[in-house]
Amino acid sequence: MEKSIETIWKEGFLESEALVAPKINDLYNQKSKQLIAKMKRMFKVNITAIVILSIIFPILHYFLDATWQGVAASVMLLTLAWYSKRQMKGIKTLNQGVNSYEYLKTFDQWLKNALSRNEKIIRFSYPLSLLIAMSTLWSAWNSQEELTAKIAQKFPGLIFIGNVPLALLVVAGIVTLLMFYFSGNIYRWDIRLVYGRVFDKLEETIAEMEKLRRE
Amino acid sequence: MSSDFYQFSILPFAAIIIKICRAYTNSQEDFEDYYQEVCLQIWRSKDNFKGQCEWSTWVYRISLNVCLTLLKKKKNGQQHFTSDRLPDDVTTDNKAFENESLNQLYKAIKYLSEVDRAVILLYLDEKPYSEIANILGTNPNNIGVRVKRIKERLKKILDGKIN
Repeated sequence: MEKSIETIWKEGFLESEALVAPKINDLYNQKSKQLIAKMKRMFKVNITAIVILSIIFPILHYFLDATWQGVAASVMLLTLAWYSKRQMKGIKTLNQGVNSYEYLKTFDQWLKNALSRNEKIIRFSYPLSLLIAMSTLWSAWNSQEELTAKIAQKFPGLIFIGNVPLALLVVAGIVTLLMFYFSGNIYRWDIRLVYGRVFDKLEETIAEMEKLRRE
Repeated sequence: MSSDFYQFSILPFAAIIIKICRAYTNSQEDFEDYYQEVCLQIWRSKDNFKGQCEWSTWVYRISLNVCLTLLKKKKNGQQHFTSDRLPDDVTTDNKAFENESLNQLYKAIKYLSEVDRAVILLYLDEKPYSEIANILGTNPNNIGVRVKRIKERLKKILDGKIN
């Protein structure tokens, strides 16, 4: 080696072209792309998981002697997956020709609309899921005649409909109504649990870009 | 970010940012992304600067931290290269500078681990050991030994490439 590294360094940076700073005109471009790509990936994973569950459920229910409930759960999950997939197509209609800030704002608006629409669907699908689960339990209970006989013996005052105590049906009804009432909250909690961090990141980035535009 | 802030607080120190970002990226696109991210981070953390050190030291520190963070995110599980085998992507942008020797030196620097790269960049920019240690959060005594070792390694790498 002819020159020392110190000399190479000094001489190299004496040339003015070596230290030309790049223009900073599109500060958040890459960041916005990455953020939205991450969200799209998460949505896709979610839809795939729903489809997988819709296949597993009927098989599982078949072994629990509740095939119809399994089929019902599967149909419900597939409908949800189809609806989510349809919603995702909306992302493609967003104008990508605008600047990063406007694109993120449009995406944020799309996301809020999508979540609000989902909430309306979930209001029915959550209680329905609960009813399917209870129906599965009911099927399992009905096949346990010895258990019913034992309960009837121990609590002779209980009224039964089929093999199931009426009190239990009343409780199931109340829980379903509560589920219907609170499904929106449960959905929002569920969404925060899964997507909370990335949604916060979106909000933070938009807020920061707004600050950047103001200063 | 106001153009004044960029004009007076970043642009005069752009050389620092460019030198560091070049050492941690292998393409012009990545370099520009890293540069922008460093500028943003300097702007974001400007209120945290209380004059506890020189502004240039602050810029060094932020530049290094941002580059190391971005590199870690990018590698995301890939192995850091500390062996003498040249990673494929190091060869992708060997025309970053007009000066060929400088390109070769940068290429050699990219053989080093991330921390060694930081040490040698600061050393080559004539930062005293105490400041290097301050920026990297280590003991000044270790820096001297480390610089010597890094220089020997760089010489070995360059000997095969520059004559």
